[in-house]
This record gives sequence, C-alpha cells and structure tokens, in this order.
Amino acid sequence: MAKNLSGDLQVASANRLSDGVVVWLDDAGDWTSRLDRAAIARDKRTGEILLLRAQAEAFAVIDPFLVAVTEDDDGTIEPLSLREKIRASGLTFDVIAADAVRYA
Amino acid sequence: MPLYREGAPSGLVVEDPWLRLADDAAVPADGMVLVSFARWREARAALLARRGPVGVVLANTDPVEALAADVSRLDLMVLHFPKFSDGRAYSQARLLRGRFGYQGELRASGGVLQDQIAFMLRCGFDSFESEQKGFGEALAKARTLFSVVYQPTEDGRSPASLLRLKRRNVLVS
Amino acid sequence: MPDTYFYRYDDYDRTLVSERVDQFRDQVRRRLAGELTEEQFKPLRLTNGLYLQLHAYMLRVAIPYGTLSSRQLRKLADISRKYDRGYGHFTTRQNLQLNWIKLEDAPDALAALAEVDMHALQTSGNCIRNVTADHFAGAAADEIEDPRIWAEIVRQWSTLHPEFTFLPRKFKIAITGSPNDRAAVRVHDIGLRLWRNEQGEVGFEVIVGGGLGRTPMIGKTLREFLPKNELLAYLEATLRVYNRYGRRDNLYKARIKILVHEVGVEKMRADVEAEYAETRDGLLGLSDETIEAISQQFAPPDLPPRSNLAGAVEALRLEDRDFALWLKSNVAPHRVKGYAIVTASLKPAGAPPGDASAVQMEGVADIADAYSQGELRVSHEQNLIFPHVAIEDLPAVYAALGRLGFAEANVGKITDIIACPGLDYCALANARSIPVAQRISSHFAGLARQHDIGDLKIKISGCINACGHHHVGHIGILGVDKNGVELYQISLGGDVDFGKTALGTILGPAVTADKVVEAVDSLVTTYLDSRGDGERFVDTFRRIGAEPFKDRMYAAL
Ligand code: SF4
Repeated sequence: MAKNLSGDLQVASANRLSDGVVVWLDDAGDWTSRLDRAAIARDKRTGEILLLRAQAEAFAVIDPFLVAVTEDDDGTIEPLSLREKIRASGLTFDVIAADAVRYA
Repeated sequence: MPLYREGAPSGLVVEDPWLRLADDAAVPADGMVLVSFARWREARAALLARRGPVGVVLANTDPVEALAADVSRLDLMVLHFPKFSDGRAYSQARLLRGRFGYQGELRASGGVLQDQIAFMLRCGFDSFESEQKGFGEALAKARTLFSVVYQPTEDGRSPASLLRLKRRNVLVS
Repeated sequence: MPDTYFYRYDDYDRTLVSERVDQFRDQVRRRLAGELTEEQFKPLRLTNGLYLQLHAYMLRVAIPYGTLSSRQLRKLADISRKYDRGYGHFTTRQNLQLNWIKLEDAPDALAALAEVDMHALQTSGNCIRNVTADHFAGAAADEIEDPRIWAEIVRQWSTLHPEFTFLPRKFKIAITGSPNDRAAVRVHDIGLRLWRNEQGEVGFEVIVGGGLGRTPMIGKTLREFLPKNELLAYLEATLRVYNRYGRRDNLYKARIKILVHEVGVEKMRADVEAEYAETRDGLLGLSDETIEAISQQFAPPDLPPRSNLAGAVEALRLEDRDFALWLKSNVAPHRVKGYAIVTASLKPAGAPPGDASAVQMEGVADIADAYSQGELRVSHEQNLIFPHVAIEDLPAVYAALGRLGFAEANVGKITDIIACPGLDYCALANARSIPVAQRISSHFAGLARQHDIGDLKIKISGCINACGHHHVGHIGILGVDKNGVELYQISLGGDVDFGKTALGTILGPAVTADKVVEAVDSLVTTYLDSRGDGERFVDTFRRIGAEPFKDRMYAAL
C-alpha cells in the first residue's frame, strides 16, 4: 500500500476548551472531533497558513498546533508520531469499566 | 499603567503623584521622587537632604535588607513582578512590612492580575499597577474573597489556629 | 457510620474550601467567556488541581497524608461516575486522578468534593504540594509518633500561603514517624523524620534537597534535631530562602535540590538558620494547646480486644495456599495485639497499576466500614490500606477483596509495579508505562513464583519527570523516545529504604518495548542463579554489582 510518509502532510489540532476533547480543524474552519474530516495541508507553505487559520479560530480551543500525518491510497489519514496516534485513537489498553467488578 | 489603591472609593483608578526619576536625571529640590535602588544607594544622602518624599523601585533580586535602616524615611516602595509566576517580591514585601516595619505605600508593579490581589494584600501590598479589565472591582472585593486564613502575616488578620484557640478559651472560661 | 480517627474539618476549614470553589467557579466562567487567556488561566486551574492531558482535563484530588474515610471514598466513586468515566487512578503521591473531567464540570466536581471535606488544592503548580506521610501512620507497630498530626499542621499552614504560591518550582514535603521510613523522606524537597534523641525528646530531622526527576538527588540533613513546636517557623524560613534564591532562569534547575547542590548544604543551612533566627519567635510558634487539639483528632480508635490466635485464620492458612501467601505479603503488624494492617493490592495481574473502578471503590469502602473502623489509606505504592483489621477477620476481608479483584498476594513483589500514566494519558510523556506494566505483570502472574522471587520493586516512568519513581526501583524502567520509537532504559539497585536510599545504575542502551519483558525475566534469572541465603534481589545486586545482570540481559535480547 502506498503511503505518503514524507511528513509534508499536516493537519491542525488542539484540545477543546470546554472539555479538553481532541479536535482538528476542518475545511470549513470548524473544530471537529473526527480526524477524517480534518483539513490537510500538503506542503510547508499551506501548513503555515493552516496554522494561522487555526490560531484565528482558537477562541474555543487551547493552543492549536500542526500534526504531521500520513495518507493511504484510500485517503485515510493517520498521525505519524505515536503521541498523536494516541491522541487520535485513544488509550492503547482497556480501561477498567465503572462496573467492572460486581460483588455480593 | 493604571494605578489602584486599596481603600480608594469603589476601586477607581487613582492618580500617580510620583515622579519617576531616570538614573541620570538631576534630583529636583522638592516634590515626590521615585528612584531606582541603585540610585538610592549612590545618592542616599542627597535624596534625604531635599524637601519632599522619596520612594524606591526595587527589582525582585535587590536585597531589601539594605533598606532596613531607612524604612521610616521612605514613603513608597515599588516591588516588581516581571511575570505572574515569579513570586520573589512576595517575600520582599513581607520582609519590608513584617521584619523592618515599613509603613509607607507598598506598590506592586509589572501588570498585576486580579487573581493575585488576595495574596498581595496578605503580604502587605496596598497599591497595584494593572491593565486588566475589572481590576478595580476585583480589588474592592479581594479582602473578603477568603474569610478564613491559615497563616499569620503582615495584614494582621487572625489565622484560623488563633481563632480556634480563642474560641476554646471562651468555652472554657 | 463509624466516626473518623483523623482530622475533622471545622467551620473554618469548610468555609475556606468552599470559598475557594466559588473563586474557581468565577475563574472558569471568565475563561469560558474569553476574559482570561489560557496563559493567564493555566496557573489558576493548576493550583486547583486541573491539568490538561492528551485527551482531556485531569483532576488531581488531594488525599492529605493518604488518609481517607469510607464516606470520602464513596464520594470519590460517585464523582468518578458523575463527572468522569467511572474510575480513578491512585498515584505515587497518595492522590487520586480523574482522567476525563470537563472544564465546565470542574467547579461542580470540586463542590462535590467539598461536601466530604476534600479538595484538589495545590496538587499542581509551583506551590507547596499536598503533604504525604507514612501510609501505616497511626497503626504501625514501629511508630514513634503519628506523623499525620504534623502533616495536618503543615497542610493548613501551606494552604493558600500568600508568600509561597509562586515558588521557582513545585515543592513536596513528606513526613515519617517510624524508623522504617515508608514515606521516602530522602527523596523529597523537604523530608521530615520524627525521632527520639538521647534526652528522650521527640523532634524532627529536617532533610532538604532530595528528589527524583531529571537530576535525581538524595536529600541532605539540614537540621539534625528540630523541636516539634518550631516546625512551621523553620519551614517558613526554608521556603523563604528558596523563594528568594532558588533559580528561575531554567525550569530544570529550579527545584530546591539544585539550590542546595549549587550553594552547598553548609551555606544553605547558614542561610536558613539566619532567616530562622528572625522568624522563630514570631507568630508561627506552635502552642501546646494547638498541637494538642490537632493530636486529639488523630487519637487512635478504641479497638476492642481481639484474639491474636484465630483458629479460622490458621485453618484457612493451611488449606488455601494463596491465602497463606497473602498473609505474608499483604498483612503487616499492628501496634495493637489482635490486629493487623491489610493492604489491598490495586495490581491484579495484567491490570493498569493503581486504577480502581467506582464499584471497586465502593466495595473497598464497604470493607473498611465492616472491618477497619471506616478508615483507609492510600500508599505511594498505589495500593489501598485497611489500617485496623482484627486478625480474626482476615479471612472475611480476604474473601471480600477477592470479589473485588484486589486480593492479589503480591505486595512488595515483582507484580506490585509502580507505573505513572505515561503516554496513554500524559502530555509530557515520551513512552507508554501502563501497557509495559501490564505485560510484565501478566508474565509473572503466578503467585508461587512471585513469592519465590521475593521482594522486588519495579518502577516505571514514561519520561524523565519520574512520577513512577524509576530511579529508586530495584528495577527501574524509564521510557525514552528515539526518533518516534518508544525505548526503555533499565536501571538496577535503586532503593528508598531509610539508610539505604540509593539511585539506580543504568545498565546500558535502552531496549525496545517488545523486549522489556524478556529483559526483566533475564534480570530475575540472574538473581535467582546468584542469590545467597535470604538475599533479596537488591541485596544480590549490591553484592555482585551490575555486570553479571547486564551481560546476561543484553545477551538474551
Ligand atoms: S513520569 Fe513523565 S510520563 Fe509519567 S506521568 Fe510523569 S510526566 Fe507523565
């Protein structure tokens, strides 16, 4: 499978102010919790513009920044770094459920 | 920067009557002059010989101990907060007020934020430079933000430990 | 409901905490309305225990000196269900972390905490942090005096201290009242050790400048013997010296340990004593009455006489091997005959260390009510402790814990792993900690083997900040990042036992995540092959050194 691994592809991310949820900037300039909706910058220059746009829309989020991503043939994007992968897809182990253990 | 003074009517901005003297400027014969710590050290005698009050501006690394003998001769001390998170001047304030008995105006400079006021009042500050919106209103309320304190400090408030002792002794007697 | 045998808030304490909640509510409102920038708001939320982690805000709830009532624990369960995802993480600083708090809910969560006299004050930020103490305090057979009395006195003095809320860096104080230090006082900014001098008086040894993190250091003695009633005046003098002269130019050099290291302990002592000469006769002197009033609140429960020789315990011990092992590892001597201290292991094989679900917290609270005077402790080893259990009740407690999944007989053993949240949660992390702990703990799950291996402390941190205390692990594991790959640096021989406090020796190049279990397995094998009579892992390491461990480990990978 061909992947664009160059590191040139970038999306803008932040945590939402009200609840801390991880969000990405979409093409319409809204913050979405779906990575597949994120606006992609395909080179350095558009990356800078994307970050400026994100900072201009930062009223309801905290400290936007750029995240390097890869893209599959089918357009699926995934962050390059482990940290950003974890931010995008959540914990890498099963958390204990609230009612995990019942007792008599 | 707008100046606020504790106790001024409903937290209004107050006039700053002090003339901030550059280190190389001539010392005027009268009027209220404010000088740097370095200038004070170098021209102490001349400054004291003139008519009119003198104030000193300190960096938060300046040794306040050096002013111990002069606290009664000074009418203003300005302590600086280069950023919110740099708390050295709180210690300077407590030493000036508590240990050396300074009674003049103690001013916080550097752009005070309203969330610092309660701490500053407890350390003996009574005037504040701030650019923050709503600072005056916050100052008016700051003394009553916490009706209980745990530490004895220069503001003279009784800490909880003392109030408890008093209460117990009333109960006993 | 049973009464509590530790400090009870009075109206002063309650007023202060609730006024603080009101203040924070207003600060959150201003932030959400855009009146405060993140830069301005961050220090405010931090001093209220609210962090921003990778996926959400995290609220760190203070559990002062690790002491908790069943009622408080139930409330924590409740809060975790209502405002979080129904579980919490007990930390190495005896706190509880809730990982999924919303900023807009945080004031309500804090108000709920205040209902049971709890708060999240000063669990973060550059202030005096929540004071920790021996988790066996008030129950241990070897105790000279209950350190929690002093921890409470320090808690009050340090809460919203106007002079020390913007220190160069965070400041951690730990107190122990036993010769067997369970509070790790030599690796804190200030460690206080109660001891009895030749005249028979009890006072503090004041230890300064210890700490882990990027530059680990063992604390040095600042004052051999400090009369107890002078504690606050002495602490104020020390903190003032630190606040004025501690470095602020470099985040990594801002802890008091660096100041002590740079000026030398003699100069530090001279400065503190000079300052103290001025403060000692001031208002901070503690009157006997004040000390007495607080001591009374820690008066131990009147434990009804119970038998030391419980037939049922003996019978079960002979018939159930796991129970026999549990008695050995999870039950410690109590100062009262007929009683014991029981540790509930929050490290079942393969589970995230230190995590408890809301249901588990409630179950633990029920056990505390039925068998431990309604009282609990949180240990810095991330376990929960029942301080006052009758020996006769041990089988019942064991069974009840078993139903919760907390009866693993592994306290102090290889699967009783300390791990920080790591890259799964933490914004500062280089690598994951929890999955590594889970793999090691699954690998060594068998109890017989664990008990054969004996005492072995594995401590894992996801970055150099060392929240997992890896420097002082018998085996320390530190996550590092090399070009986006998680690697783990392994060290041996760390220890926090008093008099033996030592920092681990790094073995060599870091290993990849999939090799960590094999590496640990090899270290254990080397130990088993080389150990002398009665030698623990760390004793063998001290005798034979790092080489044999190292050679075999790298050969095995
Ligand atoms: S040690 Fe590092 S990764 Fe682990 S919790 Fe602390 S800061 Fe986060």
